[in-house]
Amino acid sequence: MTRDRDKREQFESEALVHIDALFGLALRLTGGDTARSEDLVQDSLLKAFRAWDDFRLGTNCRAWLMTILRNTFINEFRSAQRRPTPVEYDEVADRSVFAEVSAVDPEGHFFDRLIDKEVIAAIDGLPDEFRVPIVLSDLEGLSYQEIAEVMEIPVGTVKSRLFRARKRLQVKLLDYALEMGYLS
Amino acid sequence: MSANSDGGVGCQDALGRLYEYLDGELSEDWTEKVRSHIERCKRCYPYFNFERIFLDHIRSLRLGPETTGRLEKRIRDALEGA
Ligand SMILES: [Zn+2]
Repeated sequence: MTRDRDKREQFESEALVHIDALFGLALRLTGGDTARSEDLVQDSLLKAFRAWDDFRLGTNCRAWLMTILRNTFINEFRSAQRRPTPVEYDEVADRSVFAEVSAVDPEGHFFDRLIDKEVIAAIDGLPDEFRVPIVLSDLEGLSYQEIAEVMEIPVGTVKSRLFRARKRLQVKLLDYALEMGYLS
Repeated sequence: MSANSDGGVGCQDALGRLYEYLDGELSEDWTEKVRSHIERCKRCYPYFNFERIFLDHIRSLRLGPETTGRLEKRIRDALEGA
């Protein structure tokens, strides 16, 4: 009984303190879905608690928890992906944001005028298959190989998804910036 | 650009490796070839520069602190029953 309480107290002081970071990652992975993010954080922390005896104190607890959360998310994501989804036409593939702005803003100063909240909303609004690689690469700093392993897709697919995801995001940000008059 | 100065790398070779270059995913050899090409190429340089600015912007996003008090309470309760 005491041992259980010690374990719980240790877990709370070592692992539970990372709850904000975990929730932040969950929000970006789910595209801003609060309820789903809360479930994801809870599932991940309960998994971590069950595996706590195997976790070596002194190693990077935050990184370990982030990995558990990513894997938990991807497992759910993959089972959802088994449902056939309609093939969508990539309407932005032909647009080059650089070509559109190079005459007026070749150094992309309009990006600086976008507030972080707007950029995050644009990332959140991307379809799953594009949002997840961007979050893992650009927000989490994973390599192509690591993303390929987490998502269980070939490295070549990671490359093409990242390419298309970033192009889509640029188009969204440009359209928003134009609407706001940030390029005038 | 002369073929010798950048190991024979042309615009297509460089552009096809745009994000791999900016993501640090290329071999040393290719990194050097692409770097040397874009430093000299008036067409590729501004494009690579724009993409680098875009990526820097995304990577420096500040993900504001999220309030998780209610969730923390829920998880503490679940841990007691675990
Ligand atoms: Zn070139």
